[in-house]
Amino acid sequence: MSGLGQLNVNESPSWGSRSVDCFEKLEQIGEGTYGQVYMAREIKTGEIVALKKIRMDNEREGFPITAIREIKILKKLHHENVIKLKEIVTSPGPEKDEQGRPDGNKYKGGIYMVFEYMDHDLTGLADRPGMRFTVPQIKCYMRQLLTGLHYCHVNQVLHRDIKGSNLLIDNEGNLKLADFGLARSFSNEHNANLTNRVITLWYRPPELLLGTTRYGPAVDMWSVGCIFAELLHGKPIFPGKDEPEQLNKIFELCGAPDEVNWPGVSKTPWYNQFKPTRPMKRRLREVFRHFDRHALELLEKMLTLDPAQRITAKDALDAEYFWTDPLPCDPKSLPKYESSHEFQTKKKRQQQRQNEENAKRLKMQHPQQHSRLPPIQQGGQQHAQIRQGPNHPIHGSQPAPAGGPSHHYGKPRGPSGGPGRYPPGGNPGGGGYNHPNRGGQGGGGGGYGSGPYPPQGRGAPYGSSGMPGGPGGGPRGGGGSGYGVGAPNYPQGGPYGGSAAGRGSNMMGGNRNQQYGWQQ
Amino acid sequence: MLTAGEYSNHGRQLQPETSPAELNLPRVLSLLSSKLEKLVARNEKLVDILNHQLHGLNCGSVRLGNSLNTFHGVRAPSISIPKYLERIYKYTNCSPSCFVVGYVYIDRLTHRHPDSLVTSLNVHRLLVTSVMVASKMLDDEHYNNAVYARVGGVSNAELNKLELELLFLLDFRVMVSSRAFESYCFHLEKEMVVNGTVLKIERALAPKAMDELEAEISVEDKQSPSPPQISD
Repeated sequence: MSGLGQLNVNESPSWGSRSVDCFEKLEQIGEGTYGQVYMAREIKTGEIVALKKIRMDNEREGFPITAIREIKILKKLHHENVIKLKEIVTSPGPEKDEQGRPDGNKYKGGIYMVFEYMDHDLTGLADRPGMRFTVPQIKCYMRQLLTGLHYCHVNQVLHRDIKGSNLLIDNEGNLKLADFGLARSFSNEHNANLTNRVITLWYRPPELLLGTTRYGPAVDMWSVGCIFAELLHGKPIFPGKDEPEQLNKIFELCGAPDEVNWPGVSKTPWYNQFKPTRPMKRRLREVFRHFDRHALELLEKMLTLDPAQRITAKDALDAEYFWTDPLPCDPKSLPKYESSHEFQTKKKRQQQRQNEENAKRLKMQHPQQHSRLPPIQQGGQQHAQIRQGPNHPIHGSQPAPAGGPSHHYGKPRGPSGGPGRYPPGGNPGGGGYNHPNRGGQGGGGGGYGSGPYPPQGRGAPYGSSGMPGGPGGGPRGGGGSGYGVGAPNYPQGGPYGGSAAGRGSNMMGGNRNQQYGWQQ
Repeated sequence: MLTAGEYSNHGRQLQPETSPAELNLPRVLSLLSSKLEKLVARNEKLVDILNHQLHGLNCGSVRLGNSLNTFHGVRAPSISIPKYLERIYKYTNCSPSCFVVGYVYIDRLTHRHPDSLVTSLNVHRLLVTSVMVASKMLDDEHYNNAVYARVGGVSNAELNKLELELLFLLDFRVMVSSRAFESYCFHLEKEMVVNGTVLKIERALAPKAMDELEAEISVEDKQSPSPPQISD
């Protein structure tokens, strides 16, 4: 045993030592597979926080892996552009203890992660009807995104799920990275063998789509590039519906990879399956020729096929783009947008939208129809608009509709989904994306399920018949049982489709398509 | 209760035993077993002595290890520590590094909670829980709690409870830096010196898990990688 001298007596009290009763729940702002999310006020201080209840109802899985990882990583990261996990609180709950010990089930009532409260997420904000970001505003968000990501990368953390709905924005204009449930540490020396089934499909880099399991921070930078382009373009640039289509969309814009532009690409596991059948030239500059010169230059470097040549967060921060007029604005100068998270109200409103979308869906099959307004291009003018001051949306003549949904976590689960960001499918999973694909395409994409993603597995030690619980029941992740919550988010079936017999991957089971990791 | 005889109560019999020789067990198992067996022996002696003293004072028996109460069984399981570790390794196929990291957790636990003693009553539950959590941390592919419960001879519900207990006792400090990992490996390796040669833990046996070990994080780990204290 250690002597007392070994103890760090200055440590703050253990997490989990406080009860959720220290907070007054104000309203539910999200509900999903991960659990409910509440806006709450700390009674003692009056501070507003977000409480995310960790769902513990999948007995077979125990404490959700995403929650452990998120807690573990956020405990270490402290940065103004990274969401702050303030503490973990528990609620005792009136549970019985089968062994009769008084303290036996002290956590049974529930475990909550306490986050700082954020008003919006980038996707939700961008999707507000009539919303137009200004150039200085985009620069401001991009710079904060890169700053936060640089911090993560310097600390050897890969986020692995960078996308708009995981970038939270408060009414001070601060942007913070959230949802570290897929994140993990990496080490430069042992750069090897990570799962390639991470990052929401539309933001997934070509090296992962080609099956690489040795990767690094460049994967996040690709996602950043996608978001950057999306902000400038007004809609997602690679809305693929499955992996092959995703790669194809990338190749169409960025050209086909070969040993010249990406040394080593032919050695990637699935290169031969996916290499383009016809020559494809890089068309990025042509397609986005209307972009600002510096923006295009930076985007080129982010959307570089070869991860080794892709720009790093650090270098991106030094890009001309951020240092030429119009300069990034001060976050505080950004307009304050009304946040809305009246869960119930929104539910109703979204039901309406859903009906509209259902109608639309009959006409449209693919997400390309989606569009946002591209940014306002003239910086100077926009400065003036921004200075309209707080509580005014940029376009005074076009006030944001009251309660316009800006909150991804505010969205109710299920098919009533989002505010029509990607009309077809109407957010079938409530994820804001048609094909979140976190769980893989498995049974979905024809001819794909059995291809490049072999059932993960070293086989079941019990032999097939001995697998407890049958399909999906054994090693985690199988057939949609992920975290017990199936996945309203995964219209195409569970992780790995039918490969429930093997070991599922750690990474895939949960619903990871929401900010803070909670479902919208 | 966790007794050898109970394993079969959790469904059908597990695979027939294979002899250790065929299995080529990673060395960390025997090193860790030996470490823990010594630790348990020492602690039990300590408990005995304290009990004796208390008995003299008419105070009843000593209640040690309050923090680890949840892990205490009523009786010590009959399966030995080496067999138990071997069993976990065989049936969960977790990477060998999980045993090192599991050991780190147990060590951290005893440091954070000086009132806790690892004894024959709790060592099995501590092991299955900490190795399982380590595997969740390290292995991108791993078995769920239900499988570990079956392998470990506890109920799923109990294992879930133990998992939470462990996480909270550790204050969620489940990150193990590569430096800390190395230092614990080194510590374990000292455990067995054969013919003057240190038996190295086969790090190469588990390239995957090694690579996925948490790298050093520069935001300092306040819980300094504690110099291994479980020693005698």
